[in-house]
Amino acid sequence: MSLRLAPSSKASSAGSASVLDTSNSYGLHDTMRFGMRQIASEVSCKHPLENRLAEWDNTQMELKMNMARNMYGMHAPIKMAMERALVIQARGPSMLPQRSNLGLDILAGKDESIDFEDFLNVPEMSTDMVDVHVVMERQLGIRA
Amino acid sequence: MTSRLQQTKGGFNFDNHVRNTMMEGKGMGIPKATKTGTTIVGLIYKDGLVLGADTRATAGPIVADKNCEKIHYLAPNMYCCGAGTAADTEMTTALISSQLELHRLSTGRQARVVTAMTMLKQMLFKYQGQIGAALILGGVDINGPHLYTIYPHGSTDKLPYVTMGSGSLAAMSVFESRYKPDLSREEGISLVQEAIEAGIFNDLGSGSNVDVVVINSEKVEVLRNYAKPNERGVKEASYKYQKGTTEILKTSIRDLVDIKETVNIHTPEAMDIS
Repeated sequence: MSLRLAPSSKASSAGSASVLDTSNSYGLHDTMRFGMRQIASEVSCKHPLENRLAEWDNTQMELKMNMARNMYGMHAPIKMAMERALVIQARGPSMLPQRSNLGLDILAGKDESIDFEDFLNVPEMSTDMVDVHVVMERQLGIRA
Repeated sequence: MTSRLQQTKGGFNFDNHVRNTMMEGKGMGIPKATKTGTTIVGLIYKDGLVLGADTRATAGPIVADKNCEKIHYLAPNMYCCGAGTAADTEMTTALISSQLELHRLSTGRQARVVTAMTMLKQMLFKYQGQIGAALILGGVDINGPHLYTIYPHGSTDKLPYVTMGSGSLAAMSVFESRYKPDLSREEGISLVQEAIEAGIFNDLGSGSNVDVVVINSEKVEVLRNYAKPNERGVKEASYKYQKGTTEILKTSIRDLVDIKETVNIHTPEAMDIS
């Protein structure tokens, strides 16, 4: 039960067992596709803000849920989580992320605010090609 | 164009951080951002508040902008002076101004100064001081005039008179010796002008002109370039030579292009409908 206000600046991989982004079907780093693995660059050279900003929304959500549980009882976070799950499920099982989920934005209060992510590096405007095959493989659980 | 593993998220992109630290280690640093190296002040007088700022923007030892605007609009009843990195102050105040407008549309009421202060401090805390914006926020709302300072890491103060920037000590010395509560409008403006001029003349990072904004419950007056203590002197002698000073010895004109105008009258042929 963490009432953490702000995420840590180090990506905490201690508590979770995560498979690498670049893993192949054996679970190891896929050198054929992504080149040699550079552990030093993964661990030490991250910007202090990178993990903080990536985890910000989740941490705030967790804080709200924990405070609601302490104040109102277990039903409050359960209801909030249920509404979120309904809204995510209503969009359907889409493989590739398209437009932002309006229902999710309304629940988070993002429909009435504007932040850097709305005009800096907007995902719709990016010129990078998402490697469709890798994304599909990962979502379906087939890793080659 | 590279192919990515996941959809990029919006907001700041830290992909170049590894490369930048490596380059700094090898001796080639990042280009210096334009700072405002500033004197900004605010004070509360009898009917409202007065904000003041100088107008110099520096990029290291060079003056980047001789007459920049450091007092930014936030809401019809609120203005914000910004010191620190120029881009950060401008972008921060523009973003918070947009958030305040959305908030005003959603609540249907005039925004309060604490709302803007809370939005600014929460945003600056989230970015842990990497956004170098030191701000003086002033406005008049339903509860009267309010004056706040917001530091780059997110701490705030609520005070009757404040100064920020590299010239803040020079300006604060003027305020500390001459401020008293319930000043009149003219006294407030002249005290702000003296404080900014103290910063302009005693601090290298501040210079050029004095901007003043007066906010009270009825109206806002933006007095851009209220005082110009650093006008360039008019040169006494002119270095321009009059026409005819140099004697013309010989004239020769050569046309590089032959210009000939001919008019062709084109009689359209009758249509052949056979």
